[in-house]
Amino acid sequence: MTVAGAWICLFAPLAAALLITLTGQVISRRTAGVIATLATFVAFAGAVWSFFEVRAESPSDRENLSTLYTWLVAGNLHVGFQILVDPLSLVMMLIVSGVGGLIVLYSVGYMHGDDEERRYFAYMSIFVFAMLLLVESGNFLLLLVGWGLVGLASYLLIGFWHQRPEAVAAAKKAFVMNAIGDATFALAAVLLVWQTGTLEYFGVFDQVGSMSQTMVDLVALGLLGGALAKSAQIPLHTWLPDAMEGPTPVSALIHAATMVTAGVYLLVRASPIFEQAPHVQHLAAVLGLITLLAAGLVALVQWDIKRVIAYSTMSQIGYMFLGAGIGAYGFAIFHLMTHAFFKACLFLAAGVVIHRLDGEQDMRKMGGLRKALPRTHLAFLAGSLALVAIPIFAGFWSKDAILASALAYGGALGWTLYIGGLLGTFLTGAYTFRLYYRMFHGEPAEAPAAAAAPSHAEHGEGPRSMLLPVGVLAVLSTIGGLVYIPGVWEPLETWLSEVVPPLVVPTTAQDWGSSAIAVTLGLIGIFVARRAFYAGRQIVTNPGLWRLLEQKLYFDELYDALFYRPAVALSNVLRRDVEEPVIERSLDEIGSGTLQVGGEVARVQSGLLRTYALAIAAAVFVLVVVFVAVR
Amino acid sequence: MLSTALIVLPIAGALVVAVLPLTKTATAGLSFLIALGEVALWIVTASRFDFNSSQLQFSTSHEWVQSLGISYTVGFYGFSIWLVGATVVCSAAAIGYALWVGRDRPRAYHALMLGLTGAVVSTFVAQDLLLFYASFEAMLIPLYVLIGVWGGAKRNVATLTFVVYTMAGSLLMLAAVVAFGVTQGTFDLAQAGTSDNVWIFLGFAVAFAIKAPLFPFHGWLPITYREAPVEVAAVLSGIVSKTAVYGFLRIAIPKFPDPVHDLTGLILVLGGAGLVYGSVLAFRTSDLRGIVAYSSMAQMGLITLGLFSVNDYGLDGAVLQSVNHALITTSMFLLVGMVERRCGTGELGHLGGMARGRPVLATVLMVAGMITLAVPGSATFAGEFLIMTGVYGKGWGYAVIVALGVVLAAMYALRLISAVLHVRTGSAVRDEALDLRVGELALVVPMVACLLVLSAWPALVTESSFGGDKGSQVLTQRFR
Amino acid sequence: MNGPDVGWYLIVAAILFGTGALGVMLRRSPLVVLLSLELMLNAGNLTLIAFARQNGDLNGQVFALAVMAVAAGEVAVGLGLIVAMARRRIALDVDEASVLRG
Repeated sequence: MTVAGAWICLFAPLAAALLITLTGQVISRRTAGVIATLATFVAFAGAVWSFFEVRAESPSDRENLSTLYTWLVAGNLHVGFQILVDPLSLVMMLIVSGVGGLIVLYSVGYMHGDDEERRYFAYMSIFVFAMLLLVESGNFLLLLVGWGLVGLASYLLIGFWHQRPEAVAAAKKAFVMNAIGDATFALAAVLLVWQTGTLEYFGVFDQVGSMSQTMVDLVALGLLGGALAKSAQIPLHTWLPDAMEGPTPVSALIHAATMVTAGVYLLVRASPIFEQAPHVQHLAAVLGLITLLAAGLVALVQWDIKRVIAYSTMSQIGYMFLGAGIGAYGFAIFHLMTHAFFKACLFLAAGVVIHRLDGEQDMRKMGGLRKALPRTHLAFLAGSLALVAIPIFAGFWSKDAILASALAYGGALGWTLYIGGLLGTFLTGAYTFRLYYRMFHGEPAEAPAAAAAPSHAEHGEGPRSMLLPVGVLAVLSTIGGLVYIPGVWEPLETWLSEVVPPLVVPTTAQDWGSSAIAVTLGLIGIFVARRAFYAGRQIVTNPGLWRLLEQKLYFDELYDALFYRPAVALSNVLRRDVEEPVIERSLDEIGSGTLQVGGEVARVQSGLLRTYALAIAAAVFVLVVVFVAVR
Repeated sequence: MLSTALIVLPIAGALVVAVLPLTKTATAGLSFLIALGEVALWIVTASRFDFNSSQLQFSTSHEWVQSLGISYTVGFYGFSIWLVGATVVCSAAAIGYALWVGRDRPRAYHALMLGLTGAVVSTFVAQDLLLFYASFEAMLIPLYVLIGVWGGAKRNVATLTFVVYTMAGSLLMLAAVVAFGVTQGTFDLAQAGTSDNVWIFLGFAVAFAIKAPLFPFHGWLPITYREAPVEVAAVLSGIVSKTAVYGFLRIAIPKFPDPVHDLTGLILVLGGAGLVYGSVLAFRTSDLRGIVAYSSMAQMGLITLGLFSVNDYGLDGAVLQSVNHALITTSMFLLVGMVERRCGTGELGHLGGMARGRPVLATVLMVAGMITLAVPGSATFAGEFLIMTGVYGKGWGYAVIVALGVVLAAMYALRLISAVLHVRTGSAVRDEALDLRVGELALVVPMVACLLVLSAWPALVTESSFGGDKGSQVLTQRFR
Repeated sequence: MNGPDVGWYLIVAAILFGTGALGVMLRRSPLVVLLSLELMLNAGNLTLIAFARQNGDLNGQVFALAVMAVAAGEVAVGLGLIVAMARRRIALDVDEASVLRG
């Protein structure tokens, strides 16, 4: 019975998606929202049920594999539609369905009045289903299925407002980049099939030791490729900022709280493979470090509030990659969890602001919103403090645990990661509070009319369905990290280390010592942002650097030149030099040649019956002569 | 008996439709009913089929020309059941579409469509080489007429091209059939042994490569698919191309072990080239039919990769992908036809923004498009994954090419979806252009539903394609 | 086995056949062309029967019967065509009916 809750958790959102799609116009828009919300909370209830069932089991026996039926069979390969309910997947299920439920609830208010609310909620339900499939899957192929389906849902939701060319372009970009990741992931799965004959986690992990080093490295690289694309890490990151074209709750759910962190889940879930391929694992950590620094820098100069938060997401996932890359699995998942709380909180609070300002997202046109939106201000502040990892707030416990692990890891790699991570905390403080001050402090910019318009003032900060989730998430951002207090109270770490024993455990002294430095740096970052704001200047003052960062380090241009243009050029060359001249022209030749010959032959066909008869007689005569002569 | 009944029903139906002096609609309706009857007959057949057995089932054998060892031998293997299933469903949808749009001269048109169906079914169940050849040829004649009479503006060129290409293939195959049959002393596939003659093998292989089509034998494809009536293009790319798969599976691979062994590399390279080439062109071509046509070519390249990996993964994947591709390409062509009817053009530049106010069209096209690009979890994904796995056995490079094909498929499929549905309203899209009507839905939705069922349970096909045995065993032992 | 040698029959048949062939080639009236065709067929029949008699079995005779049946059918179709042409006031001249030229 331990898995019944997990199955309910998985299928409730799917049922909602089908119900909303098939009933179509029969149900009202609001009902669609209610169905989607309820289904997600049912999923959450299922996850909670499962959680208590599993917790009652003995710690060594908490891996429950349940197969519904055999999904795919070929030769000796059998892939079941199976779920694995263990401490790791349970944590993920709780995050996905819990945070997901809050965000879907928020959407009911946010999307109210949109033409196609039903479609929106159907997509959201599909997403939640796919994400749950991803985290619950018991084998790599089903994981890949969930992996691809969340990409699909992401595509659908980024491009939700499909009349906008930017949204459609962003959606396509996200899908294609993710398809690259899917492809490398699929190749890794192919290697596993040939090397181990199975795709079940445990079957694979048992045999990883007997694979050759090259093979393990290749498999790990393939999985890492998938993780990089899904989690928007350099070099497959360029889709995430563009993905902010989608509705804000989508950004909160998919592009902050859940889907983009799937890469981290994969690194942790497949840790037995990555541990056999330490170079690849370290590569993940290094790429995470590069991303967290680069994204932090770029976030300093963006004007679009959602893009700032998006770069911040990339940066925070960089920390998780860093943690997972050095074997601090529990802390990576812990940071994933707290990040889900505070980043969803930030996005949803930003959504309230955007909603209030009729879609305005440029922070230059904001300011002084503290008075107009007091509760949102508080929630945003809580989220920001959690993001900068100020003590007590959720991010403090998780981010500092990762940094302490890097310190404990030691060696050249450990120190590089540690120092880079510390620099990142400074950047985090700076960009987060640049955003915070710009939005909520100072004088109202040129948009006060909208903010103070009577029509808006009437319904306060927004409908209750929007404010409630923001409030809950603000509370979680504040206290959600209290499941790990180094040396005092470490239930999450204990819970997770059953399934993914960490490679590195920081001592309590390292933990608290490192925290002191990190918090100081974060505070310096906040201070720099505050000084810059009140002095009325930017944090980045060098114009060359500004341009470089504003152009997002020229990654888009680089990829355009490296991949898109060559692909188009190749395609054009194939059309111009192969398809048209060789294939189509040859056709014309064949066609016109045949016609010409036909024309010549047709002249013989005079239509004169007697000529035909004469021809037959002549032919017979010739044949007779031939036969006689030959004999 | 059931095998013969499946062949005879549409052909007899064709005669009835051709002769009965009914009104235009009644003729088309009768034809559609016959096609549905064929589907029902297939369901009966499938329900009585023992999917655990890898033996020939429902077989019937009659002497035809005793002295030459020619017989009328038909029967089903697991994979034939699935191929025939895809055939009857797709041709019913195509005939239904012809009914919906009301093709001119319905008696001739529907008689030809039904005759085509019978010929394709007969090809898939033929267990005698000469019967196979006769059925293979019998498919072509209706196609010539259907394209030549009911096609678009350049139908004459298209027909001529198609005739020249297919005749070239057919003649090669005829020579190969005769040479093989005479050297073996029988045309019965079950009794004939193997041959190591490369030329005979090439005769078959080229014929199938033209029919599939594989790169570089695809010269007839672009113009034929563009000029044919859209449902004929659907049948052509959906099911007629699968006769090549059956030919490879039943004849070319098992009967010529040595030539296959020697030439596998070449064919795999051609398959891979077709996959990449078709995908790249699909990405740049400027009309809907072009995209679907080139994507179809890419998919056939992929299926060939699976077949010629000659291992369990590749073979199971190839059969699954054949069924998937039959259903999805037929759906896509019919959808393209529906869009073209509304807008009067299939040029991407004139389309766009159709999702607005047309939720059903948007949903159906989106689902079909996602299955086309093999989003993970779809039946096409399962097929591609198995083929990728299978072809890895022949070299890692091929697996990488399949992976590349997956990415390219995403690019062209998304381009098609966005060009029709999204962004600003195209110049050819009038506001009063309707959403999909119930009649149209009734044609496309069943096929999409079949695909969704296969997505939820691809093992349905892969597990039973070769009965209880492994695909590689069946091909390398039983079929020899 | 009395009667003339098979050679005589063949000579008669050849003369008949030649007459018929010349008729088909030279005459322009479809009716006469048809008659000439029949003449050629009968020449064939005569040959068949002659050889059947020489061989002493029935195969040739059976074949001749089949030819007669075909010839009867052919005449029916041919005469039908001629009547149809006459009704539509199409000139009864085989050289005029050359629409099917390439």
